[in-house]
Amino acid sequence: MLSVIYAILFYVATAILVVGVGMKIRKYARTPAPLKIPTTPAPTTAWGVVLRMFREVVFFESLFKSNKWIWLFGWVFHMSMWLVLIRHIRYFIIEIPGWLSFMQPFGIYASFGMALGLIGLWGRRFLVERIRYISNPSDHLMLALLLTIVISGMLMRFVARPDILSVKAFFLGLLRLRIETLPADPILLVHLTAVATLMIVFPISKLLHAPGVFFSPTRNQIDNPREKRHLAPWAAKLEG
Amino acid sequence: MEYQVNGKTIPADEEGYITNLDDWSPELAEEIAKTENIEMDEERWEVVNFLRDYYQEYQIAPAVRVLIKAIKKSMGPEKGNNKYMYELFPYGPAKQACKIAGLPKPTGCV
Amino acid sequence: MADGDDLRKMEHPLDIPCLRPGAMEGLEPFIAAPEHQAKLGFPGELVPNWKEKALEKMAELAEKNRAFQVYLDACVKCGACTDKCHYFLGTGDPKNMPVARQDLLRSVYRRYFTFAGKYFPKLVGARELTEEVLHEWYSYYHQCSECRRCSVFCPYGIDTAEITMAAREILDHVGIGQKYSNEIIGKVKDVGNNLGLNPKALRATLEDLEEEIEDDTGISVRLPLDEKGADILLVTPSADFFAEPHIDGLIGYAKVFHETGASWTLSSYASEAANFGLFIGSYENMREISLRIRKAAEDLGVKRIIFGECGHAWRVAYSFLNTLAGPFDFLDQNYPIPQHILEYTWDAIQKGKLKFDKSQNDHIRLTFHDSCNVARASRMGDMPGGQFEIPRNVIRAVCNHFYDMPDETIREATLCCGGGGGLLTDDLMDLRKKGASPRMTALQQVTEEHGVTHMAAICAICKTQFSKVMPVFGYEMDSIVSVHQLVSNAIILTGQETGEDGNEDEDGGA
Repeated sequence: MLSVIYAILFYVATAILVVGVGMKIRKYARTPAPLKIPTTPAPTTAWGVVLRMFREVVFFESLFKSNKWIWLFGWVFHMSMWLVLIRHIRYFIIEIPGWLSFMQPFGIYASFGMALGLIGLWGRRFLVERIRYISNPSDHLMLALLLTIVISGMLMRFVARPDILSVKAFFLGLLRLRIETLPADPILLVHLTAVATLMIVFPISKLLHAPGVFFSPTRNQIDNPREKRHLAPWAAKLEG
Repeated sequence: MEYQVNGKTIPADEEGYITNLDDWSPELAEEIAKTENIEMDEERWEVVNFLRDYYQEYQIAPAVRVLIKAIKKSMGPEKGNNKYMYELFPYGPAKQACKIAGLPKPTGCV
Repeated sequence: MADGDDLRKMEHPLDIPCLRPGAMEGLEPFIAAPEHQAKLGFPGELVPNWKEKALEKMAELAEKNRAFQVYLDACVKCGACTDKCHYFLGTGDPKNMPVARQDLLRSVYRRYFTFAGKYFPKLVGARELTEEVLHEWYSYYHQCSECRRCSVFCPYGIDTAEITMAAREILDHVGIGQKYSNEIIGKVKDVGNNLGLNPKALRATLEDLEEEIEDDTGISVRLPLDEKGADILLVTPSADFFAEPHIDGLIGYAKVFHETGASWTLSSYASEAANFGLFIGSYENMREISLRIRKAAEDLGVKRIIFGECGHAWRVAYSFLNTLAGPFDFLDQNYPIPQHILEYTWDAIQKGKLKFDKSQNDHIRLTFHDSCNVARASRMGDMPGGQFEIPRNVIRAVCNHFYDMPDETIREATLCCGGGGGLLTDDLMDLRKKGASPRMTALQQVTEEHGVTHMAAICAICKTQFSKVMPVFGYEMDSIVSVHQLVSNAIILTGQETGEDGNEDEDGGA
């Protein structure tokens, strides 16, 4: 019964995540940018824009310019998250390739990075007057949700290990449209519920910053308005 | 806003510029000056009169440069300068003097 | 009006204040009269179905403008922008923090257009659109100068200016317009410039200036108007025909054109570089004003268009003119379309076409204020960042004493003058003084360290704003100068006698 509930939960969560984010991306992509508004100095070539975007999403360049504390916590959290996510690939494939085995320890200890980053970011929401002012309940809840995921994950790794092979079997089963038995480990269930919740709220929350940044005209436009005429389809209709 | 002159009510906009330029009279100028905490003396009248003459001709207030040049001619170089104009009209010759002269407010990045 | 008496003493230009909730609550610039609104195609007063109209417009903007759509969704409230706005630094009002300013609108967007906001409004800070909210928008979206400093520091590049423009556009469409901007746009449509300067008066002013240049230099330098067949159309802010120190900049352009032997003209039809359509976020109005420049260029048969010193005008010209009024295939394609006067002057300097006596500016110890729209929304020259280098190159070519203000207050991080984006109006003087505090504090630092006496700018709004607020911070009002005024001071015209008395009544105030 438990396995069936969680199987449905993950199918639904995945569907919402994929369809929801897909629809948002389609909306962003289809909405025209009527004017050239890159924040200058901006790259003058497409390659330059790719580089700028790369620096933005990999190094958080603008955030670094802005505030070293937010950068530190934010960057450590996000980069650790990637390592942890990569490590989790092992639960969805049968044969573990060499590089993934190599990543294993990094992925495990990165969880401390995630926790540290989240605690730092959350702390600022209480300690810095300006950030306290702009925080909504949802901002706190999002951090609570993420921290729940991280801490439950760490507990399972470092304190009370569940029957991880059964967990893997369960997810491999889901990929093959089969429902295997999921161990009824309370920490595991908390972890999985929180993850599914995160997937479900993704397309309706501020987590949209992830796809959003790629569509931000101040960052993704080429600075070439004198050389190349830029015209939105709706604006073209104004020209009789 | 509005001004009271000789028992007549003269309408003005939010900033005190009269809305109907034909309403202007020397008495009104004195009245507007009073609300601006300015005492109209000979020098100030010279400026106001120049503004009004210029407006008659060009339908707009003169550039500060043009005003100062004219005042320099009539009152001499020690008075024909920007600083002295601001002594006469602390909120600026263009805006405050125009208000007293019953001219529309110069708009834009000025 | 609190006349800036409660100006905060800042230790450092970026000194972060304690929050002062409500400090600027209720500040509203004068609302446009029905006749001002009508000329722009907006309703004269608050329409009865304002709520429906406002939400309709919001939905439309989200569909027509990717920036608006993405920026409403992407903010994570990280707080990186919270200390970046000069109005926040100067007032301490938390609603002047960029993210909080955006949230005034985002909260309404969430309530009506997002799942979370519709069903869990409290959770995500969503709220109903009420008349109070409209007035809160009117107040705080007129405490933003659309300077884009926050957008530099946002990890997603969220540009509050885009939100402010959208909010003003929505307000205009329900009948709440700002008098200052909308009256001016009406004048451009009627007369051709922000001032309402008619061709006869413009011609008289230009003749007066020709006389003045000849008196000063002994050389006849022309300021041609409406001359068909000229090579270059100069489009400059109308403040250059009227205000101090702008007019000295205009004299500088004329001298540069004279010395380079250029055939040029001004146009009485397009006698305005400024385009306040940008400030109110109206594509249509911005386009209509831009098309005047195209028409003037076509009618006069020019080959090139050059813009004078004006910040937002250069943004509209550099970034948008091709979009709004292009393509310009009838102009000479060997030159940038359009070109900035500083690009022109720097080019002439590099080619050795201009001779200077730099000692004519020796009474000045100078710093340079990067104007926000030039710095963060445009470019000069071929390289990114040319908008910072070219003005400084020209300044160094004509001045011996130049010192930059602290790094975190110049170039892309430049602080707004406090009067941009449609706020250069007397009814916002208190805000203007407070918003200028960070820049003025940076200036005071270079005054202490290097004895700086003057600041140069390349924007009509900056120049006017500083001439008004500098006295509050202990400077003479003529401590603000045009870059081309410095060029004008130093340039030696061919045939000009270089006597000792050439410059005595310029900038005597220092």
